[in-house]
Amino acid sequence: MKNNLSNNKTERVIGSLDSLQKATAPDFFYTRLKGKMQREMEPAKKPSFLLRPAFIATALSIFLIINVFSLFEIGKVPKQNTATQPGSQATIESFATAYNMNTESVYE
Amino acid sequence: MTEEELLSGLRNGEEPAFKELVTRFQDKVFNTALGLLQHHTEAEDIAQEVFIQVYRSIQQFKGDSLLSTWIYRITVTKSLDQLRSKKRKKRFGFLSNLFGDDNRPLHEPEDFNHPGVQHEKKEDAALLFKMVDQLPENQRTAFILNKVEELSYREIADILKTSESAVDSLLQRAKQNLRKKINELPP
Repeated sequence: MKNNLSNNKTERVIGSLDSLQKATAPDFFYTRLKGKMQREMEPAKKPSFLLRPAFIATALSIFLIINVFSLFEIGKVPKQNTATQPGSQATIESFATAYNMNTESVYE
Repeated sequence: MTEEELLSGLRNGEEPAFKELVTRFQDKVFNTALGLLQHHTEAEDIAQEVFIQVYRSIQQFKGDSLLSTWIYRITVTKSLDQLRSKKRKKRFGFLSNLFGDDNRPLHEPEDFNHPGVQHEKKEDAALLFKMVDQLPENQRTAFILNKVEELSYREIADILKTSESAVDSLLQRAKQNLRKKINELPP
């Protein structure tokens, strides 16, 4: 009896799709499809020239060259000053004396 | 417009031909995708994807099969891809459950109600769709094409690139599995 009921239920469930009406596409399907196609088929935005590898490499190279050049130039300046002005040490000492900026130790 | 004229128009990129194609096939594609995916929004998305695919690859259609067979095949492939992608996401669903509200699982499947089911059969049909969801891909596809889209064994065989006897066998096994699953349910 129980088995019979179970079989009935099974066949009822299996047959529940008999005489099913087919689903229809939603309204304005074509309009929405066209919208999606336009969005998908739009040519992709060209990346800015600033992001091109060639531009990035050139910019980095120029930056590096300027840096290296600056380092060499800065390195040269103090040497020239000390070599061309032999009395600079004396000048500094007289300047310090004039303005009472001597650094002599108070314990001397 | 004959199928030849339609194909010729599509190959030339004519919009009226494309509109005619969509008008002719939109319900078939949507109904098939809905049966396989059991989700309205996803079925509409897949139906749109199918027509975009047809538009893009119409030059590759050699006419070895009917246009309808080719479109059904694209629909089945895209729907099954979508199902596989959903299953992959479900596997990682437990992670999102950890952050869900009210300790409610975020990926709990809802009962699917096909809009074409008669009112008095709604409950049984929802149960059947739940069981169909557990069938292997090929049995599920054959069952949906036969029961929901009402295609003949010959048409299903062409879509699945198999023989009519293989389709018959798939449908027999699908029904057998469904009976077994329904019998296993608590009364």
